[in-house]
Amino acid sequence: MFGISGLALNHVADWNPNYRQTRVASQIEPLVGADRDALVTDARAKLSLAEPPLNAFRPDPDTLQLFYEGRTYLIDVPTGNVITEETRPRPVLFQLNQMHINASKGVWTVISDLYALTLIGMALTGLFIVKGRYGLAGRGKWLVGVGALIPLAYWLFSQGQ
Amino acid sequence: MRRQVAAAVVVMVGLVAGLAAQEAQGKKYGADLTLTEVTKVSEIYANPEKYSGKRVQVAGPIVDVCEMMGCWLAIGSDQEFQTIRFKVEDGVIVFPMSTKGKNAKVEGVISVETLTEAQQIAQGEEMAREQKTTFDPKTVKGPKVSVMIKGEGAIVF
Repeated sequence: MFGISGLALNHVADWNPNYRQTRVASQIEPLVGADRDALVTDARAKLSLAEPPLNAFRPDPDTLQLFYEGRTYLIDVPTGNVITEETRPRPVLFQLNQMHINASKGVWTVISDLYALTLIGMALTGLFIVKGRYGLAGRGKWLVGVGALIPLAYWLFSQGQ
Repeated sequence: MRRQVAAAVVVMVGLVAGLAAQEAQGKKYGADLTLTEVTKVSEIYANPEKYSGKRVQVAGPIVDVCEMMGCWLAIGSDQEFQTIRFKVEDGVIVFPMSTKGKNAKVEGVISVETLTEAQQIAQGEEMAREQKTTFDPKTVKGPKVSVMIKGEGAIVF
């Protein structure tokens, strides 16, 4: 779990590891209305939206936003250009990421602490499982040394940046 | 050994199910809201220096959410064409995208800062990258007073 979501979260600058988003452009007639409520009514009629939105907002005089569950319409009032944004959590990965970053806090804090302590225990006791020339006294010490040296070298190098 | 593994699996499934149920009901994020008076966003923008460093509670629609880390909300003002950013520490509170479009009551401390042109351009470019849109640096004209809430707690409904 930590490994998979760790890979996904490492590249958060390049892609959204939590959500899949789509933006679809369409065109309706320009909106007509003296105020926000009138514009919302006109937009719903022109977009054939039976349900009222959760909320509506105008971030600027030319834009109307209609918010539905998982879907937002951004409408350019004077031209009728519409962008429909849909946001859906990525199956499995979203849940893994939420658990990795402990988004929900509460009981998951205790569970993830137990997992982390177990991982530390496995790593430490694992050092002593293999005996002989491949154990800690032999090849093992070099592997452990390399494993520790890489992050240590990076940390020392990054201090000077 | 099999019994122990099965028991561990049952316990973990139960805990995860409890967690999921808690999440389904949970609309509170971060610290409890303690103030009883709601301050209008328009009032804060009209008198930023009066509110700088003060703890406030603000209510309004969530018109935008940090897509990558869930670390901020844009709260729609009582006046059109105006929003205020509610910024929380990364990882301390994580707002899911499903909160977009819902209503929120949020509480935190007002931060007033004058942004240089370079800071505004950097901020605009970062937002554009995050939202996969474009940002025109020519839209930045001189220093700008930025008002936001350093967020501590929120209720989304």
